[in-house]
Amino acid sequence: MSNNSGAGYPSLCHRLYAVWYRHYRVYTKNLLSNGLPPFLEPLIFLAGIGLGMGKYVSEMNGMPYLEYLASGLPLSAAMFTAAFECSFGTFIRLEFDRVYDGMLAAPITVGNLLAGEILWAGTKGLFFSTAVILVVSCFGLLPMPVSLLASAIGFVTGCMFAALSLLVTSFVKTINHFNFYFTGFISPMFFFSGIVFPLENLPAAMRYAAEIFPLTHSIRLMRAIVYGQWHPVLLADAAFVLVFTLVIGFFAIRRLRKRLIV
Amino acid sequence: MPEPVISVANVSKTYGKDLAVDALSFAVMPRACFGMLGPNGAGKTTMMKMIYGKSIRDRNPESVISVFGYDPQVDELSIKNIAGVVPQEDNLDEELNVIQNLRIYATLYNLRTEIAAARIEGLLEFMELGRKKKTKIKELSGGMKRRLIIARALLNNPRLLILDEPTTGLDPQVRHVIWEKLRGLKRKGMTILLTTHYMEEATQMCDRVLIMDKARRIMEGPPARLVADQIEAYVLELLSPKAHDAVRGLRMPDTVRVDDSTDSMRLYARDIDALEDIRRHLTPGEYSLRQSDLEDVFLNATGRKLHVKQ
Repeated sequence: MSNNSGAGYPSLCHRLYAVWYRHYRVYTKNLLSNGLPPFLEPLIFLAGIGLGMGKYVSEMNGMPYLEYLASGLPLSAAMFTAAFECSFGTFIRLEFDRVYDGMLAAPITVGNLLAGEILWAGTKGLFFSTAVILVVSCFGLLPMPVSLLASAIGFVTGCMFAALSLLVTSFVKTINHFNFYFTGFISPMFFFSGIVFPLENLPAAMRYAAEIFPLTHSIRLMRAIVYGQWHPVLLADAAFVLVFTLVIGFFAIRRLRKRLIV
Repeated sequence: MPEPVISVANVSKTYGKDLAVDALSFAVMPRACFGMLGPNGAGKTTMMKMIYGKSIRDRNPESVISVFGYDPQVDELSIKNIAGVVPQEDNLDEELNVIQNLRIYATLYNLRTEIAAARIEGLLEFMELGRKKKTKIKELSGGMKRRLIIARALLNNPRLLILDEPTTGLDPQVRHVIWEKLRGLKRKGMTILLTTHYMEEATQMCDRVLIMDKARRIMEGPPARLVADQIEAYVLELLSPKAHDAVRGLRMPDTVRVDDSTDSMRLYARDIDALEDIRRHLTPGEYSLRQSDLEDVFLNATGRKLHVKQ
């Protein structure tokens, strides 16, 4: 049975799924080493803060400090996993293993390949944030079951940082350059996006800078879901997240296409 | 006359100031094996990548690439859906084992589960990898990796198989096995486009070869015809300086052409008798007298010295 014409190539949905499936298979191959850390990390964090720092800082913004932290941690987990996946991970597939070169001989385009990456990183963001939500809610730090809805923001955050990391990757010539990205951008984001302390009392300049940080907006969305506090500003946050992902994703794909199709 | 599977007309490719392919034109007919020959840096791989959309040709209204009637710049998906590609570098997914590598590609081609399973089974047998299903990629030998990549390229039952130096770096046994498999596929009606710098590979496999050098076409035709038309039938190779001296002292008949552009000296003639006469003045072991082959045509056409890109 031979294909008679080329026109019957797989649909866009299937092409994206096939790329996603490749990453899913690789990830689930080492289920224990890949699947356990997302559950352990929040435990370690809570132990450190709860037993140590929590003794000195008991309240933040009118709520118990641990609860305050717990409503932001799921998204920092989503951010870190997506950022790693689409920086170091993508670079290795692009330059060292040449996995993309092989996949591009099958009926997918560069756009499909990279959009599939972003969706996969979103999925990891969903998984990681869900893991953190489940763990911290065991300690009564997040209201259940409503907090599970915030996993959706984990997915969105994953996609957003995947797009950004792909754009960074498109500029990177050697893998060590990612150190600048993580030290200079991702780590500060953890502190200045409202996870650890509220942004309201920062100096004005830093408050504005924090508004540029994509994580700030998804944190606000998550807290709104968890505590049911709706406010019109949230629409702006949602728009920021959406537009940021689409625009940055568009430029990332455009730049990486030049690297893959020579 | 059937329509060609691949038609290439006036195709060029520049990287910055470097001209990698210079106004190349050729056609590959159905069920044929077409070979692109040339030294490293001649532009073979670049030409091949332009055919399946991995590289973009220079913009020029007269420049055409058509594969099954599709332009790779417009319809890359249609081409990839009915072609199989074996790249020069091994690019298997090292994070997966043998059968998982094939399953991922079966998903990329959107094969139904039962069809995929049957086809994977069949291809692993065909490529003699049936006992390596669960093996990690790192544990495969170079020859096994190559065979697995060929199996991967055959998953979609392609009508066209594109191979970039399929046997470079492999031992003679593996090379012969791969040739045999490819000939089997051709007999079943597959069209094959390959690049190589092994003249033996071209002679054994190809119905037609295109010899390239420095981005340009040098000559094109069936290997046997090129040997008959482009070079004298016999060659006497002198292997030692002593033999060179002995020959230089002789009066050379007009029918013998001498090539001493490198350290070794070669004498070419249409008629073996002239070379036999010269051979009588030499000691066995210092020379080799044989029929000329594609390699002589190739070296004659592309020169014996290395150039910058090699």
